[in-house]
Amino acid sequence: MISWDYFIYFAALSVLLWIAGAWKAFKGARKSACAFTATGLLVFGTFIGLLWLSLERPPLRTMGETRLWYSFFLPLAGLITYIRWKYKWILSFSTILSIVFICVNLLKPEIHNKALMPALQSPWFAPHVIIYMFAYAMLGAAAIMSIYLLWIKKNPSEDKEMSLCDNLVYVGLAFMTLGMLTGAVWAKEAWGHYWSWDPKETWAAVTWFSYLTYVHLRIGMSNKRKAALYILLLSFVFLQMCWWGINYLPAAQGSSVHTYNMN
Amino acid sequence: MWNNSWSIKEGIMACGGLIAIGLVLYLCTGPVEWSSFAWPLDLYILGFYVAALIILFLLRKKLYFVRWAMSYNAAVPALVAVAFMTFLMGMIKQVPVSVSAGDVSIFHRMISFWPFILVYLWMATIVGLVSIKHLVSFRLSGIPFLLNHLGLFIALLAATLGSADMKRLTMNTRIGQTEWRATDYDGNLYELPLAIELLNFSIDEYPPKLMLIDNATGNALPSGSPEHLMLEDGVKSGKLCGWNIEVLDKIELAASVNGQDTIKYVEWPSTGATYAANVRAVSADGKNVASGWVSPGSFLFPYQALRLDSICSLVMPDREPRRYSSDVIIYTESGKKCNETIEVNNPAEIEGWKIYQLSYDETKGRWSDISVFELVKDPWLPAVYVGIIMMMLGAVCMFVTAQKNNTQKNSES
Repeated sequence: MISWDYFIYFAALSVLLWIAGAWKAFKGARKSACAFTATGLLVFGTFIGLLWLSLERPPLRTMGETRLWYSFFLPLAGLITYIRWKYKWILSFSTILSIVFICVNLLKPEIHNKALMPALQSPWFAPHVIIYMFAYAMLGAAAIMSIYLLWIKKNPSEDKEMSLCDNLVYVGLAFMTLGMLTGAVWAKEAWGHYWSWDPKETWAAVTWFSYLTYVHLRIGMSNKRKAALYILLLSFVFLQMCWWGINYLPAAQGSSVHTYNMN
Repeated sequence: MWNNSWSIKEGIMACGGLIAIGLVLYLCTGPVEWSSFAWPLDLYILGFYVAALIILFLLRKKLYFVRWAMSYNAAVPALVAVAFMTFLMGMIKQVPVSVSAGDVSIFHRMISFWPFILVYLWMATIVGLVSIKHLVSFRLSGIPFLLNHLGLFIALLAATLGSADMKRLTMNTRIGQTEWRATDYDGNLYELPLAIELLNFSIDEYPPKLMLIDNATGNALPSGSPEHLMLEDGVKSGKLCGWNIEVLDKIELAASVNGQDTIKYVEWPSTGATYAANVRAVSADGKNVASGWVSPGSFLFPYQALRLDSICSLVMPDREPRRYSSDVIIYTESGKKCNETIEVNNPAEIEGWKIYQLSYDETKGRWSDISVFELVKDPWLPAVYVGIIMMMLGAVCMFVTAQKNNTQKNSES
């Protein structure tokens, strides 16, 4: 049976393929760029699938396991963006970011046991977390784009680039909304109430309203581009708080029902 | 001031003003008591509020304020203010409702804080007004907008106003007995229109684990990321921090028996039995060997650890529950009688009540003869779900039309 011991081999092969894809994208060889990246995703996805089988539960409980999905969805989001908008550099960025998360998982392994507490044993569990991870990857790509426009290019003047940001946020926000609402329906089944202002929920709301601010600012005041990009980055900071920051936030200690990676 | 040129500045001032008014209201009237909005007051407020919004909308040609409130100049600052107040809520530890209000400062209960409520109310007002606007001038292309905004408006209003009508009660039941009384957070006893007879309570547990702990501190080893060995079927040996562990014998239902100078375990299939494993541990260099029984214990028997050397001991922590469930018969006042199995994530539903598996007698673990249920009645839930479903559809629309909207916008500009 597969275990985390094999992760490094699958990850190394995927990363090599993604780097090859990113290189080909730079060279302008679109078809082979897509093929390499997709094969890398297939290898990485195979590992997730086999781990799922051997754990006998979805690998979505611990932070390490959600990082696994994140490292998978980033190149996927990169690939979709590349196919649609043909940015040469997007695959390099998504690959680098994915490597960061893979390294975190390799350097800071967590205990991964089979136990899944009864509250998580629900058909809502997998969709809720996977939808969120995909949203996080999309919004991560949007954050990278805003850094690029604010500090590398220093001039968010091109419509095409701003509309890439907008589209990434629309897709990310749509999935985030679905993640939040499936969470609410699940919470009603598991905990008796759909919204309890649990720290995770509170920060999810902060993040959601923050991205909504970006969306409304972009539609209503489309000339305020820099302000919009700063809000986009701030929203991503809130998102980090919601995802893992609350594990360290004093105000959230001991009161969240969303903590499952205690051993 | 009414020169028809309100911009984002007025939007910021409106939010600042609402926060200031909220502070004054708080200083004058104290925190908002949501429980005082119980039926039918919440229905009157809802009717009054929606009617007020419709009237405001109808007067929009005369009232510049209303036209401005439906613009992005009002919406963006309102969203910032809502995000900011929610951010404050996230940064300050919130105290659950089970703690009485007198003991906590208002910042620890933001949902009762006037500025927080007024800012949300302002956002809801904007969302309500633009929803009416899109309903009145209905177009097919406006459906995603309506789903998102009207959905949020309905969910927000129903959830907030309905909170006073929601009942959450806790009921303790014992195997073989029928219970119809339950208590709320404050300990008030209620007699319910339904009764629950607990037929059986059972727990499935995950296989037990072996772990090493530090003799001095009792912390699991290696500290920070403790290792464990799960004794699944077929697992006969394993490694823990360099120690080779060999399982010589294991008993699912065991009782401890004191021998002359050691403790041993024998089969004992009865209430209160515990798991026990006879293991042999050899250190990495082969110099230290220890063998003996380990057990997590139960309410009848103490736990049993095996001391390996001066540094560490081998222990078996309590087994984790995989699933716990209660077989019950539910009787209602109207004469209905139904058999149900209630477990976590699988509540029973009868006559508007949802019955959740909440807990059991944890001191007895799998031998608990007590099952604790939570009973929830939320008459506004259907309305909230209508809002949630609309928002879900709205999100799907947002995803599908993301690209399209942008191309349109670009071609317009």
